[in-house]
Amino acid sequence: MRRSHLLVVEDDVEMRGVVSLALRSHGYDVKEAATGTDALSHIQARTPDAVLLDLGLPDIDGFVVTACIRQTHDFPIIVLSARSEEQHQVRALDSGATDYVTKPFREGELMARIRAALRRPVPMLERRELVVGDLRIDSSEREVFVRGVRVAFTPTEFELLEVLARNADRVVTHRQLLRAVWGAEHLDEVRYLRVYVKLLRNKIERNPARPERILTTLGIGYRLVSTGAPGAREGD
Amino acid sequence: MHSLTGALRGSGLAALCVALSTGLSLVLCAHTHVADLAMIHLLGIVFLSLRSSVRVSIVASLVSIALFDFFFIAPEFKFAWSDVESSLTFAGMFVVAAVVSTLSENLRQKEQEARAAAYRAEALREYNLELSSARDVRQLAAISSRHLRKLFQALVIISLQNADGTLETFEDQSPRSAARAHGAWLKREPVRAELGSGMEIWVPLVGIHSTLGVVGLEVPRRFERDSTQDRLLSACASQFATAIERVELAGAVQRTQLEAEGERLRSSLLSAVSHDLKTPLATMIAAGETLVARGGELSEPAARSLLVSMVREGERLSRLIQNLLSVARLEASRVELRRTPESIEDIVHSALEQFAGRAGAPEIDVDFDDDLPLVSAEPLLLEQVLVNLLENAARYAGPGANVSVGARHAGAAVSVEVADDGPGIAEHEREKVFEKFYRGAHTTKSDGGVGLGLTICRAIVRAHGGAIAVRERNGGGALVEFTVPLAAHGHEPATEVAFS
Repeated sequence: MRRSHLLVVEDDVEMRGVVSLALRSHGYDVKEAATGTDALSHIQARTPDAVLLDLGLPDIDGFVVTACIRQTHDFPIIVLSARSEEQHQVRALDSGATDYVTKPFREGELMARIRAALRRPVPMLERRELVVGDLRIDSSEREVFVRGVRVAFTPTEFELLEVLARNADRVVTHRQLLRAVWGAEHLDEVRYLRVYVKLLRNKIERNPARPERILTTLGIGYRLVSTGAPGAREGD
Repeated sequence: MHSLTGALRGSGLAALCVALSTGLSLVLCAHTHVADLAMIHLLGIVFLSLRSSVRVSIVASLVSIALFDFFFIAPEFKFAWSDVESSLTFAGMFVVAAVVSTLSENLRQKEQEARAAAYRAEALREYNLELSSARDVRQLAAISSRHLRKLFQALVIISLQNADGTLETFEDQSPRSAARAHGAWLKREPVRAELGSGMEIWVPLVGIHSTLGVVGLEVPRRFERDSTQDRLLSACASQFATAIERVELAGAVQRTQLEAEGERLRSSLLSAVSHDLKTPLATMIAAGETLVARGGELSEPAARSLLVSMVREGERLSRLIQNLLSVARLEASRVELRRTPESIEDIVHSALEQFAGRAGAPEIDVDFDDDLPLVSAEPLLLEQVLVNLLENAARYAGPGANVSVGARHAGAAVSVEVADDGPGIAEHEREKVFEKFYRGAHTTKSDGGVGLGLTICRAIVRAHGGAIAVRERNGGGALVEFTVPLAAHGHEPATEVAFS
């Protein structure tokens, strides 16, 4: 199998060096860019399989770079950002970034995010059956099996779970979820999500008081994880 | 219109006076002396002179004298007389009319001026009073616009100088008048232009150091340079200018105070934390250098332990910086929390997840009420409160301690507790532990604490409108409890039935 080609966009020399080294040691083919302009010309020369993008670049804002890339490409963009830039992360995700990792990050977490991002999301029209860990979702029959047992879902619960499952292992922002399930006029009703995520957890978590499947990313969104639960199968 | 009806009324009164005195004399002439008749005419003239203008009084007195001569002085029914005595009488009547009317007119004018002056003084006082209550330039402009419009019955345009030296206009104006405004601003002198029956006048607002702006009036009637109107306008303009300078000065003073306050906070923080910032860095650099210089000679476990301490110290530094950033943000003059409806369970889980990855983190019991309502919070800040409390519990309760987190619905808030079964916090320390850089009795220099954790917790909880306190846990140990207000009731999603 071909080695995945990644572009690391980061202005800090040390950080760029460490990330690239870690990626190469995991068998990725890595190119480096120090500025937004640099990154865009790299992408034009050779389309990477994914980009790791620092939000605080010296020349162009991270979300502007994201928007530029999204005009012509749909490969995954993983945003690297300091935690205090939480509002920026949401903006970057809403404007097309695939996932984000906060600095300082652990190597294992970064690699897991890259693996998840490189697995393409399942488009809404494709794939009748989705398997995410111990969940099996049948889109045509609108049935959900939790650890092999069929569980009844309301239409909204089902749609919410389906959006999360199609983006398994990736954070989906509040606005993205609200738009997909409730529509564009309810983008600020975070309360809906709180209520429905709780309902979903009650149905799919082994222990709803300690969720392991639907994880909250504070201030940003939710992530349905395919691994981590004991005995879970790899989702794809 | 006003002066015309006034003149008509004056002439009417004059004609009535003259007719009355002549008529009365005609009735009485058969029974009295001519001198008495002269007195009747004189009384009429004096009466009229007290009320009418000089011009009307003089004309009326001449008519009165002519009629007196015509009817009562021989030769009668002719405008002629023969004796010196009559000449003196006529001259006396005329002089009385002239003197009395001049005096009374002066008096009336003085009175009118006094009344106008009192009105202006009152208007200026009111204007000044309102100006002194304004807190910013925008309010000053609104107040001035309203008062000037009332005082001068005029259209008012106010342009004020911006920080960048350009003029900002508070109402629309034509390019032509904009040019005049600019002219007055540059010249620091009023600029006038005639406008039909009225006029346009631009008065600069002259401050101590610079021209602060321009006030433009479009008045229906012209007024002369140095007239009372003109003086009133310049008095208003100077009050306006003084008020602008007062507001700007007050703003500058406040900014300076805030800066000084911030500076003080920064320097105290810096001196207190520089040690705690440098220690982990020193460890990381020393360990790294050892590995670089003698990596080959070190045994595998020795090299590994150096690497582990580098990671641990890095994490410590990262937490410290996170706390410092929060302090800086919360202690800045105005903190605007980005609050959303949040589930406290989610925030606790996120904090536990962050905490669980650390070396030596104890197992934590979680106990929530069923169906906890949503709270209104900025989630990452509350997460930081929980991480700090968990860290304290793990750090001070010692290895093998039991740490628990609980949350329950309490009135208009959710109450969260973090408890441990360690040595607890002595009663006299329970308030002090929230003070900046205070370290409790059980702390040691090397435990990695700075004395900021609880200070930050309290600042965050208070910013949310909640309260935080330390108690003794049932059965011994420390318990920190804090409250977070509930989220307002918003739209609830409709309940649905599951399909099966």
